[in-house]
Amino acid sequence: MNVDLADRIAALRDEVLDTVERGEQGALNGEIFDATLRCLVAFEATDPGIDLALHDALSRRLAWGDSEHALLAEADEVCERLLASARRALREPSEEMLVVEAVTQIACTAARIVANAAIARAGTDRAAVLREQAALKRLREAVARQQEELARLGDPLAE
Amino acid sequence: MTTPPPLRIRAAGATHPGRVRDNNEDCLLIEQNLGLFGVFDGMGGHHAGEVASATARDAVRDAVRDAKGATHFVEREALEAALQQASVVVHAESSRRKARRGMGTTAVLAQVGGTNTVTVAHVGDSRAYLLRDGRLQVLTADHTIVAELLARGALDPDEARTHPYRAVLSRNLGAAPETRPEFCHVQLQAGDRLLLCSDGLSTFASHRAIEQTLAGAGDPDTTAKELIELALKGGGGDNVTAVVIEAGRKEVPRRTQIIRTSGANAWWSQRDLFLQQAAARDIARSPICAVLSPGEAVDIVAGNLCEAIYRDLEQTTGIHVWTYAENLVAGWLDQDGDFAVVRDLLDRLASAADAVVEHIGATHFDMGALLGLAVPRALLVAELASGGMISKRLREVEAQIVEAQSALAASESFSENVTVPIDVPRADPPSPAVARCLDAALELALADARTHKRPREDGIVADCLERAHKAARDHGGQLDGMLAARELFGTCALGEPAIAPLLDALDRARLTHVSAVKRAPGDDACRAAALRRIATAHRMLCSSTARIVVDGGSSVTDRHREMLEQISLLRRKVADNERRIQTLEGRYKTQPGWAPPRGEA
Repeated sequence: MNVDLADRIAALRDEVLDTVERGEQGALNGEIFDATLRCLVAFEATDPGIDLALHDALSRRLAWGDSEHALLAEADEVCERLLASARRALREPSEEMLVVEAVTQIACTAARIVANAAIARAGTDRAAVLREQAALKRLREAVARQQEELARLGDPLAE
Repeated sequence: MTTPPPLRIRAAGATHPGRVRDNNEDCLLIEQNLGLFGVFDGMGGHHAGEVASATARDAVRDAVRDAKGATHFVEREALEAALQQASVVVHAESSRRKARRGMGTTAVLAQVGGTNTVTVAHVGDSRAYLLRDGRLQVLTADHTIVAELLARGALDPDEARTHPYRAVLSRNLGAAPETRPEFCHVQLQAGDRLLLCSDGLSTFASHRAIEQTLAGAGDPDTTAKELIELALKGGGGDNVTAVVIEAGRKEVPRRTQIIRTSGANAWWSQRDLFLQQAAARDIARSPICAVLSPGEAVDIVAGNLCEAIYRDLEQTTGIHVWTYAENLVAGWLDQDGDFAVVRDLLDRLASAADAVVEHIGATHFDMGALLGLAVPRALLVAELASGGMISKRLREVEAQIVEAQSALAASESFSENVTVPIDVPRADPPSPAVARCLDAALELALADARTHKRPREDGIVADCLERAHKAARDHGGQLDGMLAARELFGTCALGEPAIAPLLDALDRARLTHVSAVKRAPGDDACRAAALRRIATAHRMLCSSTARIVVDGGSSVTDRHREMLEQISLLRRKVADNERRIQTLEGRYKTQPGWAPPRGEA
């Protein structure tokens, strides 16, 4: 457990998420930051809850319509800002190494979650494309039948 | 106040199992002597729906017959009592046998009274329609969950059309001993037609198609069969039943028809004047008429428009002028003609038409006023048709451009595209101590990676380690991750089985590398600097790999979106064609002199 270090990093929250500059609405989302804190608290112990919580938070944002690219860009930005703030705030290199390690782990996990979400979406879309292809075929056949019917009825617009 | 003479009521019905189902759970009720008509749509597995609808029909008929025998007969009370009685009977039958548990039925009833009133009662989503003066209106509101949400404003019509619960009834007959029917009263007029139908018709035929068929000249029997055909043409996905009730019959043409016909005749009688006016406006000199003699130009170009306007006025459609304008514009654009020429010709023809209308108005003021609205409307249709043709051409040109661009893109190899930003941000080079630490960390990490003895996976991990190490040495970790990730990604298929090993390898490489840096020789400050560089490189690598996967998935999403647009276009086309077929069929039905062309149906 490294609660002391996590507390000191938690104090950097407003600075990292740029709350003052961007306001509450425009501030960066805190998923990456919070997950990093949990990672620091867990230290070297394994905590599957971190991945689950991060997965949950990112999935919710995707469900609300944020794009995958936006999530990745925001994760990069939060990591950069957190590393810069931590480097300035922490005097012990060993402590900074812990933060760097935690940030990298969370950033890579976030990237993996987003990639998996994109794969799942592509799978769904691919299945939908197959379904729509069948629907298109049926519609084209229906149009052809209608054109024949129109031609039979002497419609001047029949192709 | 005198009681109106009773209208002669004629009724007929038809029912069909549809194209999908084997059995027919609908049934109809026509009791001419009682003035009672109805449609029932049963539901419930193992043929229970058939039992429910037939039981309800018999119970309603018997109840109304008994009530008619009594001295005091009130339509609404009789129908309500009959439906309650039917609900009790169906529910009792459903409770008696396990196989029929949960069965029920919808019901829509029409009871014609002596003073030409009709009382309509309904439960469920079977409907009653009234056709009056060629306009169709729904008399009943569906008792479905979605319809009630729609009425409360909780859903909009688009959501309602695709709502998963759109077929779930909020009221029916038989699910419980009591039922809550809804009533409405209509004072019948000569020429009115009532339609009672199950949802197999209202779901698989459009409102307009039902309106046109019901307004046709056929007797109730023919019309009911035509309505069934309509639903079958629309897919026939459910049992379909229709009962058509006709009140009297208007033999005299309606006022609107007289006005329509006389307006059209007045226009046609001035055909020669229109041709003269068109000739006076030099339409023969238009480049569109270049291959025609002046006489032919006037006869063909102006004469055809005159006839198209006449037919549209007579039939209250726009199809003839629309067709005329489309043919004119398409022919001209096929010769790579300029649209301004079409515009000029249409303006000249419109001016000639104005002169004719003015001439008619000078002798018959009312007719002039009528045509002063109708003829410009017909010419507006020509404008719309020509605009549509232009837009169609633009879409074709756009498709050609897109195709040409795709062909161009396909002809270029990957290396010819600039995918790597030239200005890669570089950090300061590492100090000699940090560089030594990084080199040592790589050696340690590679040694660790080899201990797993899985050559293929170890190969990818080693590759990741070397790329991250190079980035950490050269750019302080700020490499263009996309380039390195692309090379690592290679030709992975976009699916979890192909991509998961790469993501696993990236994870393993990162953990191994970080662990190795911690063990590398040097002081804490030196190791911290090395770790910053290594961590940044790995982070970029992971993030860029995720971006490549996302981009790959987006192309599938885009394709899906394009297909949905195509489907939407085709659906509109199918609907348009269906309307056109209905119009043409309607023409053959309503005009005695016309006969449908022979050909294979």
